[in-house]
Amino acid sequence: MSKNYILGVFDDEATLVDAFEKIKAKGILPVEVYSPYPVHEILIGMGKKTRITHAAFFYGLFAAIGILGFLTYAAVIDWPLRYGGKPFNSFPSFIVVTIVATILSITLLTLFTFSARAKIFPGKKAEIYHHRATDDKFVMVISKESIEKNEKDIQSIIKEHGEIE
Amino acid sequence: MYNSKVRGRLIQGDKSFGQISREILAPIDKTPIWWYFAFLVSLGMFGFGLYAKYITVSTGIGTWGVNNSSAWGWAIINFVWWIGIGHAGTAFSIFLLILRQKWRTAINRAAEAMTVVAVFCASLFPLLHMGRPWLFFFIFPYPNTRGPLWVNFNSPLFWDFVAISAYLLISASFWYFGMVPDFATIRDTAKSKIKKAVYGFFSFGWTGSSKEWLRFEALSFVLGGIAAVLVVSVHSIVSTDFAVSVVPGWHTTIFPPYFVIGAIFSGFAMVLTLVITMRGLYKMNDFITDSHVDAVCRVLIFISLIMGTAYTTEIFMAWYSGSDYEMYMFFQNRLFGDYAFEFWAMFVSNAVIPQLFWFKAVRRRMWMVFVISIIINIGMWFERFNIVITSTSRDFLPASWANYSPTWVEVGFFVGTLGMFLAGVLLFFRFIPMIAISELKSVAKFDKPNNGQLKPASHE
Repeated sequence: MSKNYILGVFDDEATLVDAFEKIKAKGILPVEVYSPYPVHEILIGMGKKTRITHAAFFYGLFAAIGILGFLTYAAVIDWPLRYGGKPFNSFPSFIVVTIVATILSITLLTLFTFSARAKIFPGKKAEIYHHRATDDKFVMVISKESIEKNEKDIQSIIKEHGEIE
Repeated sequence: MYNSKVRGRLIQGDKSFGQISREILAPIDKTPIWWYFAFLVSLGMFGFGLYAKYITVSTGIGTWGVNNSSAWGWAIINFVWWIGIGHAGTAFSIFLLILRQKWRTAINRAAEAMTVVAVFCASLFPLLHMGRPWLFFFIFPYPNTRGPLWVNFNSPLFWDFVAISAYLLISASFWYFGMVPDFATIRDTAKSKIKKAVYGFFSFGWTGSSKEWLRFEALSFVLGGIAAVLVVSVHSIVSTDFAVSVVPGWHTTIFPPYFVIGAIFSGFAMVLTLVITMRGLYKMNDFITDSHVDAVCRVLIFISLIMGTAYTTEIFMAWYSGSDYEMYMFFQNRLFGDYAFEFWAMFVSNAVIPQLFWFKAVRRRMWMVFVISIIINIGMWFERFNIVITSTSRDFLPASWANYSPTWVEVGFFVGTLGMFLAGVLLFFRFIPMIAISELKSVAKFDKPNNGQLKPASHE
């Protein structure tokens, strides 16, 4: 496809992982790996980490405090109203709204975070290396710069199970 | 992980990944004649519903059969019924995800689609029951010119509003983000330029790179984890609409679990109706195999037993409480009184008939499963009728007893939502991959020897 990259194209997960591990053993990390579904060996092997779960926790923490704070402000401080003899600060019944609204906040904020970090947003034009990577091929993109003298070895590893395009 | 062979194969017929994509995407390329016919019928029903809504809004709630005693009527029966059906999406996606059930992958997309449409149908009922739906935004707690006078945060009706709107938003976004990789598959396999452009837009530039999948998995993990709470919370909150009042037959602590289980019950039944339709009309038998249907049937046996227990517990507690009003409500009103037919229709179709699923011969005959799933849905409708109507029409004061029967406007409204649901499902069949392709591919390896790995030591 491009002069700067080698594309290793595989038919299934097992051969991709095998080749990925052998190439990694040579100290070379592919630029990117494309697959129709998540392959955990690759996700771990590529060495990238995501902090989305941490972000979600803090969204939840702040949302819960904020919502509970708002309910208390509105019902206790701003305009206290007596409902059926209950105390103004009816904490247990505030919990219901707090939980549900917190879940909603976490969901929406985490989605936006995902969209921003993974750069997945409406109308984005996909950069496609191999148009069957979302269908039935597992594609490994290796930059030619990174392999230098090892090109022959890499090619033989890929050719063991897959094809070079 | 220990790999049991109890479930049978997840996908029949040793399909390649390419075949899986092609077979699931086939309905998007070709529209059968019956589809147009069915869509026309559903639009007709929807139109009738629109007319009923027009009458409701232009003339008022007086066109309904509701009265001072039974102020809720069909609107709330149908609201609770639709919300119950709308439970299947989260129940399937989240519960079965947490329980690591791989067979979920063939069904969850349809269940989630159904959820979104059903919850949307449900939300229309309280909206129009307000009488002045154009002022519905009064429920939002926003700084207003009335003081600002805030809404009553202690009211279950407000909780309900929060719960339903949150549920609608969350299940819709969960559903949509699950579809993004599949839209990319359509974009990359489609031949027509229009399809490429449209699905390309909706696929948000998805390429399937490891960076995207890494974050995608983290996202599903977070959403799955927190939405699990919703499976329980939404219908618990709906049940508090009833349970925090002092009306006989409603004032019980059993209501939240009873409603949640009932919701999952009707949701699973509706999923069964839907997937059997998918098998029949779109020949998805290789993906939604007999053992998938079998698994749902087994779950239904269990839930049906819980339903039966809940019904009998309610009756027992009415007797055990010694309260005259409770005794009257259950024994003279529901069991053997004016509403005996509705009570026994509910009991037989929810607690007795699903027990037929104990027999393999029943579980393997799709038409029987289909019929029973419909019976369960009707039974669940009668359950809501039992709860809503029997209690309000016979309260503490015999002077305020009143009978309730719906007018054509209420019936039309309900038919309209049925039409909307049908239309939504048909559009889903036509334009969206009805099975989660990428998830299905990820479990395909478990049908292969050695879980599809080269080395004997499996990673799972």
